[in-house]
Amino acid sequence: MRNKLLFTGLIIILFFSIIAILAPLISPYNPSEIDADSLLVPPSPRHLLGTDSLGRDILSRMIYGARISLSIGFIAVGIALAIGLVLGALAGFYGGLIDALIMRFVDIMLCFPTFFLILAVVAILEPSIFNIMVIIGLTSWMGTARLVRAEILSLKEREFIQAEIAIGASDFRIITRHLIPNALGPVLVSAILGIAGAILLESGLSFLGLGVQPPTASWGNILIEAKSTLGVAWWITIFPGLAILITILGFNLIAEGLKEKLG
Amino acid sequence: MENLLEIRNLKVDFYLKDQVVNAVNGVNLDIGNNEVLLLAGESGSGKTISALAITRILPSTARIVSGSIFFEGRDLLALDEAALRMVRGARIAYIFQEPTSYLNPVYSIGSQIIETIMLHQNKNKLQARQEALELLELVKIKDPQRVLFDYPHQLSGGMNQRVFIAMSLACVPKLLIADEPTTSLDVTIEAQILELLLDLKKRFGFSLLFITHNLSIAKKIADRISVMYKGKIVEEAATAKIFDSPEHFHTRELIRAYEKIGKL
Repeated sequence: MRNKLLFTGLIIILFFSIIAILAPLISPYNPSEIDADSLLVPPSPRHLLGTDSLGRDILSRMIYGARISLSIGFIAVGIALAIGLVLGALAGFYGGLIDALIMRFVDIMLCFPTFFLILAVVAILEPSIFNIMVIIGLTSWMGTARLVRAEILSLKEREFIQAEIAIGASDFRIITRHLIPNALGPVLVSAILGIAGAILLESGLSFLGLGVQPPTASWGNILIEAKSTLGVAWWITIFPGLAILITILGFNLIAEGLKEKLG
Repeated sequence: MENLLEIRNLKVDFYLKDQVVNAVNGVNLDIGNNEVLLLAGESGSGKTISALAITRILPSTARIVSGSIFFEGRDLLALDEAALRMVRGARIAYIFQEPTSYLNPVYSIGSQIIETIMLHQNKNKLQARQEALELLELVKIKDPQRVLFDYPHQLSGGMNQRVFIAMSLACVPKLLIADEPTTSLDVTIEAQILELLLDLKKRFGFSLLFITHNLSIAKKIADRISVMYKGKIVEEAATAKIFDSPEHFHTRELIRAYEKIGKL
């Protein structure tokens, strides 16, 4: 494998994805099971990554947390990608008034400090996993839209698009079959960075208590419980923190590797 | 109506940032059934723009200001976009100068030909694939089975032009507009492509509007020649007559240029 960045990144993400998918099979304990006899046990053969202040097994919570964190990342970016592709393609292809309206809307959305917008929305709605995915998706499509628009602006002047018009293809066909596939490379790179961003955002929200609600575990909300015991139980902070760090690194490596590969 | 295509008083302007530039200024052009008309002229004389105006595939800055374009008895300028799409590719097809850049880099040759076929004909994918294969054989591509799965960047310019011709003829158009189709190819390939076009013309019975600045092609293929200069048709006659007694100075210039090259 020549592309080391891409390869390393893929291995990392594959590793965490498999863990997330196989969670019920490989998790040693029930992630929400409280064990009053083993509170704040440091890493040991019985609890590989220790337990928290309620005696819950950190490893099991992290394995289940991987499910939540990764799926929030993927689905939020899926939503952002769908909105960004459609709006960006429309703006780039039709130009004029449509372009102006869509891009001004993008500008408006970019003016909001996203994190506080999400905080406000989650405070009003209940902070369920579904709501968090949707809200992160709805507030992070603007970059994709701008990127797609820019790609399509330059692609639509290319000769093969003119040829496509000359053989009688409809606008819809030209956009979906000819423009978007050609624009997908850079969009993919930004989407993968977006997954990393979404996971980080979810962790931040959960840490503030407005993300995924206990007892459901996510990497972010294991950390919130770690905060009060930081002085006595380092393992509760270190391991979820490392998981977040390595996952984000993995996605960044993939994005960087793809960028290199796509030139 | 005896002519396949009748263009009357066509005017096309370019609307640039702070000025309006007139590119085509009152062009009249007739093409009969089964005829080869060669549209000659220097770069920027408006020949390509006139040709693109026929099915309204002009750049976004260009506007057709006035005129009429009758094709098979219908005024194309009066058709809406949806009706015009039925004409593009099916009744009037184009081939262009740089074949490789006119093919989509992310799709295989086969899928692009199949797309064209399925766009205008009521055929399923299997039938379309079969027809694509026959078309590739028809344009004399070696090993069409393999080329079907090749991508444009894997083929040479000459091969890609053949592929593009196959694509253009997929729906048996009545008019084929060839915009300098051999300018980017070397001389031996040029001869082969011209021969292929004439062959196919006999077989399919389309009319050919051939655009070039190179009059050496004219003697080989053209029935008639129209010479364009600064947005106007300045001379129009049968091929032999143009070469025997050119009237306009630009026609003489084009002939001189071609004779000079011949002498080298």
